[in-house]
Amino acid sequence: MMVSVPMIVPSPASAPPATAGDGDLVRRCRAGDREAADALARRHRRGAYLLALQLLGDPDDALDAAQDSLLRLFQTLDRYDDSQPLRPWLFSIVRNRCRDLLRRRNVRRSEPLDGDEQHWRPELVDPAADPHRDVERRQVRRHLWRALADLPAEHREILVLREYQDLSYEEIAAVLRIPKGTVMSRLHRARKQLALRVRDLLGPTASAGEEP
Amino acid sequence: MSEPRAHAFDESLISGYLDGALTQQERQRVELHLAACGACTELFAELCELRSAARDTAFRIPSDEQWREAPRGPASRSLRWAGWVMLLAWAAGSGAFGLWHLAASSGPLWEKLAVFGGLSGGGLLLLSVLLDRLHALEGDRYRRVLK
Repeated sequence: MMVSVPMIVPSPASAPPATAGDGDLVRRCRAGDREAADALARRHRRGAYLLALQLLGDPDDALDAAQDSLLRLFQTLDRYDDSQPLRPWLFSIVRNRCRDLLRRRNVRRSEPLDGDEQHWRPELVDPAADPHRDVERRQVRRHLWRALADLPAEHREILVLREYQDLSYEEIAAVLRIPKGTVMSRLHRARKQLALRVRDLLGPTASAGEEP
Repeated sequence: MSEPRAHAFDESLISGYLDGALTQQERQRVELHLAACGACTELFAELCELRSAARDTAFRIPSDEQWREAPRGPASRSLRWAGWVMLLAWAAGSGAFGLWHLAASSGPLWEKLAVFGGLSGGGLLLLSVLLDRLHALEGDRYRRVLK
C-alpha cells in the first residue's frame, strides 16, 4: 500500500486544470491571456523542477533552473509549434539550462542525500507492505540515485527522461535532438552502466542479504 | 551477465522490449532469445528492478510560495517591443528635427556644437544598446529550441 507523504503530493493549486489542453493555453497566452499563462506555468512547473532536480541533484539549483526554464518557455512561445506536445519543448529548455549551469559551475551533479534531508532529500516511498522488502527497495532506490550522479551527462539525461520522467522514445529524441533510432541503443548502454554501478554499491549488502 | 554471448543478437532490443517500443516481430525475437539466454534474462530482470525502483521514487517538490511570480508572458514582451519602436521613432524624428533646426539657425557655433554633440552622444548610446541586444539574441542558444 502506498504511503502518502503530504509534501510530495501536488497541492490543488498546482494541479493542472483538466479542461484546456496545452495547445489551447499556448494560443491564449500568445493572445495575451494572463490566466492562461499562469495555468500553463502551474501545469508544467512540477515536471520542470523534477527534471532539473534529477539532472542537477541540488534542490535550490533545480528550482532556479526550473524557473529560468519557464521564463525561457514563455519567451520562445511564439516559435513553438502548438500542434506538437509542449513537454519535450520545455524539457529541452530545462536540459539546456541544466547543462549550462553545470558547465558554468564546473561541478558535477551534487548529492542531496547527505545534505538537508529534513527538507529536500528525495522521499523514498514504497508500496511494499513487507518491511524487509521495503528496506531493501529503499536501499536500491538510494543507490540508484547515487549511481545516477556518477554517470556521464549523456547517460544520465537519457535515463532520467525515460525512467523518471517516462518520456516516449519520440519525446526523448526531440528533447535530446538525436535520431529516434539512437535512443534505444544509447538508453541500453546507459542502463547497463547504471546497473553495473548499482550492483557495485549494493554488492556487499546484497550478498549479506542473501544469507539465510 | 559478464559471460560472452556467442550470438548475433542486438542486446539493445532488451531495452526496447522493456519499454514496449518494439514491433511484434522484434518482441518475438527477444522472447525467443530470453528463453534461451540466461545472461540476457538476468540482465532483463535487473533492468526491470531498476526501472521499478526509479518509478517508485518520489521527490519533494517546492510549495507554491517558493515559486517566483508567473513568468513574463508574450503580452508584456509585445509592449516592450512596441516601446522600443516608439522610442526609436521618437529619437530619429527628434534628431532629424534638431539637426535641421541647427543647420537652419543663425546661432553661435558653440550652441550648434552643444546640440550636435548631445544628439550624437544619445544616438550612439542608443545604438550601442541595440547592438548589444542583437548580439545577445544571435548568441542565444535557446532561440531555435527544437527547430
